[in-house]
Amino acid sequence: MQIAGLDNLLWAGGLIGHIVLLCVLFGRRRARRFPVFTALIGVNVLRSLVLYCTLRLGTPYEYFYTYWSLAIVDVGMQLAVVYELASQVFRPLGTWAKDVQNSLLLLILFSVLVAVALTLLAAPPAHDWRQIVVIRGSFFSATLMSELFVGMIALSTTVGLPWKSYTARISQGLGIYSIVCILVEASHSYFGSAAGTALALSLTRLRMFIYIACIGFWVVMLWRNETVAEPLPDDVRLRLALLRSELARDLPGIRAWRRW
Amino acid sequence: MIGQNQWFILVVAIFVVSLVSVGSYYLTRVRKATNATWESLLARLVEVDRDNIAIIAADNDFDIEKSRISSMIGGLAGLEALEANCDVLIDLACHVQNYYPEAVVIAEDLRLKAREVKWHLGRIKGISNTDNLQANFGDYARHAISVYYRMTQSVLALYERSDLPELTELRRAI
Repeated sequence: MQIAGLDNLLWAGGLIGHIVLLCVLFGRRRARRFPVFTALIGVNVLRSLVLYCTLRLGTPYEYFYTYWSLAIVDVGMQLAVVYELASQVFRPLGTWAKDVQNSLLLLILFSVLVAVALTLLAAPPAHDWRQIVVIRGSFFSATLMSELFVGMIALSTTVGLPWKSYTARISQGLGIYSIVCILVEASHSYFGSAAGTALALSLTRLRMFIYIACIGFWVVMLWRNETVAEPLPDDVRLRLALLRSELARDLPGIRAWRRW
Repeated sequence: MIGQNQWFILVVAIFVVSLVSVGSYYLTRVRKATNATWESLLARLVEVDRDNIAIIAADNDFDIEKSRISSMIGGLAGLEALEANCDVLIDLACHVQNYYPEAVVIAEDLRLKAREVKWHLGRIKGISNTDNLQANFGDYARHAISVYYRMTQSVLALYERSDLPELTELRRAI
């Protein structure tokens, strides 16, 4: 199996980008705050190397199974990153905020249902069952991930929970990449993804190009310093405490309205 | 005749456009909230009849007739204004969490409580068109207005401390 010059360039770009991002994550001490995201980037470096070796030394059959086994690991780790980012936003005091628990569960259920429904609607023009599983599986994961990212942004904005700078940037990158993946996978599903066809190759290259752009975005954003927290002025602290105690006193009365 | 694959592409196109629209809308809101200043948040407070609210809040002996309360606060429109102002309180809590992480405990508590008050105001709005509850509107609204009044008093005090020229207008508004 041969790989063309552009593919070599994209592969090398992805690998170098991941290594630079890992250096930023460790060098700027972001890894401690985002351990799962750091692990995902580390796994991607290993994945690139393993796939390169398999492509050079293995058979197409071995490459196919290595590629898709590692793709499943990648999807699992991306879901773990979603959890990591969600826990940074929706657990401001270390436990899940009371008012978002049900909404988060509904968001996950709804996202899975929509992703399943859309995946079932797809009818990839492939005869090999493995190709069908691959196309449907890739489309399902891309749809689910993008729904979760958009849903999390919508939910946090509605309930008034802020996004810290780095959490927001990682989410934006993964969200945009997932949406691009939906389009690419939907095209694969519509036109078929027989290996080597010009369209399938172009779509894969587009996906890789967008991903490298996302890596560049993360490198720049995670390198920068986060907005420095300001000390809370004493008068603001006092007034907030007063407002809090007043609300605590009044709420039992308001809760009693639930009698109806 | 549209085949299954054409339907699939059509549905996916609608889905992606919706996803991008919803994402863009909320990202814009996040950006606005992140760039908002304490002053710009307070400036979002909706004008309500402050004098009547103060009278209702001070009516500890229940001298005001229930039926008058609705008209004093401007009926459902008045409740909607109070609800909108609760949104400002939630955003204030969000602002504090964002810029003053050391106050996260207080801010989170404030956010949860402001959301609960807003939820109850929504309930009052939702059930106020039923006959049974129309009669009880005054009771429920009296509680809501008292809480709202105390909350806005604190916000006004915060604004006063920052010594801004808009204070007179703000006092009239909330």
